[in-house]
Amino acid sequence: MSQAVTAAHASAIEALHTAYLAALDKGDMAAWAATFASNEASYFCISAENDRRGLPLALMYDDCRGRIDDRVSFVTKVWAGTYQPYRTRHFIQQLSMNVAGANQYRATSGFMIMMTPEGGATTILTSGEYRDLIDIQGEGDQCRAVFRERRTVYDADVLPRYIVFPF
Amino acid sequence: MNAPMESFEQRWTSSPEGFRVPYEVFTDRAYYDKEQEKIFRGETWSFVGLEAELPNKGDFKATAIGDTPVIVTRDQVGQIRVFKNRCAHRGALLVREPRGNVKSFDCVYHQWSFDLTGALRGVPMRRGVRGQGGMPPEFDMANFGLDALRVESLNGVIFASFSSTVEPLLDYLGEEVVDTIQRIFNRPIRIMGDQRQYVHGNWKLYAENTRDPYHGSLLHLFHNTFGLYRATQAGVSHMDASKRHSILKVVATATPASESENKEVYKDVRSYNTDFHLQDPSILAGRKEFDDGSTLIINAIFPNLLLQQIANTLAVRQSVTYAPDAFEIVWTLFGYADDDEEMQMIRMKQSNLIGPAGLISMEDGEAVEIVQEAVVRDGKKTSLLAMGGGRAENVEHMITEAPIIGFWENYCRYLGITQVRVA
Ligand code: FES
Ligand SMILES: [Fe+2]
Repeated sequence: MSQAVTAAHASAIEALHTAYLAALDKGDMAAWAATFASNEASYFCISAENDRRGLPLALMYDDCRGRIDDRVSFVTKVWAGTYQPYRTRHFIQQLSMNVAGANQYRATSGFMIMMTPEGGATTILTSGEYRDLIDIQGEGDQCRAVFRERRTVYDADVLPRYIVFPF
Repeated sequence: MNAPMESFEQRWTSSPEGFRVPYEVFTDRAYYDKEQEKIFRGETWSFVGLEAELPNKGDFKATAIGDTPVIVTRDQVGQIRVFKNRCAHRGALLVREPRGNVKSFDCVYHQWSFDLTGALRGVPMRRGVRGQGGMPPEFDMANFGLDALRVESLNGVIFASFSSTVEPLLDYLGEEVVDTIQRIFNRPIRIMGDQRQYVHGNWKLYAENTRDPYHGSLLHLFHNTFGLYRATQAGVSHMDASKRHSILKVVATATPASESENKEVYKDVRSYNTDFHLQDPSILAGRKEFDDGSTLIINAIFPNLLLQQIANTLAVRQSVTYAPDAFEIVWTLFGYADDDEEMQMIRMKQSNLIGPAGLISMEDGEAVEIVQEAVVRDGKKTSLLAMGGGRAENVEHMITEAPIIGFWENYCRYLGITQVRVA
């Protein structure tokens, strides 16, 4: 995998990360879902403990595009009014990026999420690692990056609260 | 400072309207300390793990009963043992990792070494160094083993007790709970993983929540909307003979409720919304795997365990206490060792239902926390348990708070709280 990442692809991927963080920090679930490929995509959010032990159990297990869309409805419709609203700030740092195929990359990033419950103080929700499979769609300057798969491995052995939004 | 235990004297008064619980029970340190002594370290059996978590000799896990740290391990002959997680020398935490495999438990502080049966096997510099120091001649290693708890397993579910006088596990659980455990743990299981969630509330609010069929279809919109559970379904709300434990069960029925009956029951209720449709309904496409056809069983086992079957999600939830306003829920999900690939996939999809972000369990964390926030003062004011008649009686429906009253009656018995019912 010594293939170079083109400048256009690199900036598309950076824009994808930014779009993902901006969506969640605004609590915009539809924009979150829009960062995933529209035909076939998956989102998994799993604890580092289960990941280390090689166990499959996830906090969120969205193994198809339909369930990513359903998660939008769960948060915005099913759960509306049941949870205490909280705001987040996501910070990420890219750790690695490798070519996985034609117009496809594997990337890992470290992340940290700050959380502020309505009327409360800001604390760290968790840190962790994003392990991504990213597709580039379109050509040249018009290209756009989407998640084919995002696997979020979070560090917290005990989550500090119940969780509504994806990480 | 904690109030001295001698001064712990309580009187709870209930009215004809129902059973009343004073809010201070959720906030007062004196209650919390008394619970540790009389419940978690008293005449009870607490859940500590599943044998499937410790398949090999030397496997261990660290957990807690109430807030007392314990080690659960499988010794050299395959026997499950439970010890206090505390070195017999000067009290250091012996095991710091959540799980692992060892030949012996070696304390990091002065390297005292204990074998898997808890016996002390090694004391560095015991006979001194170059004729200096060393332990006194009276020192007998046999007196310094780890504090062992009583251990009993039922179909691979491990319980431990600090009490030497508590009744045997099967008697403690009672017939219907034993049946429920044997029904779910009917063959070897495969652990799918753990979820851990810190809850900013009192552990007993969760004991109430898991004995509360009344809230099931009202708090959890997902249940109701997709018909996993509605109050119009046939169900039972049972307790064991002692009323410590509860078994809430939705039973298969020949005559499901009509759309119009559901509409009537849930008119004006936020949580009944049949207009909502899933993009991927396969989350609900489970498999029938029990002959009795029951798709929902919530079995709360006093004091710290919940055993559940929701559709094809099988799990235990253990409560670990930290303080009057803090506890942790540890969820362990499992399937069966002989699950085919499709069944494993069904369980993975449905695992979205439960856990800290579970579609029908996230709200329970919130329910606990909003009670805790609101009852921080007015300790003598009381909550009301009246739905279904306000008595701890078994009923063949789920429109009741009776199992919660069963919990509190036992709680009062354990803590020596006088209950008065005014006519
Ligand atoms: S405290 Fe454990 S060896 Fe000293
Ligand atoms: Fe619930």
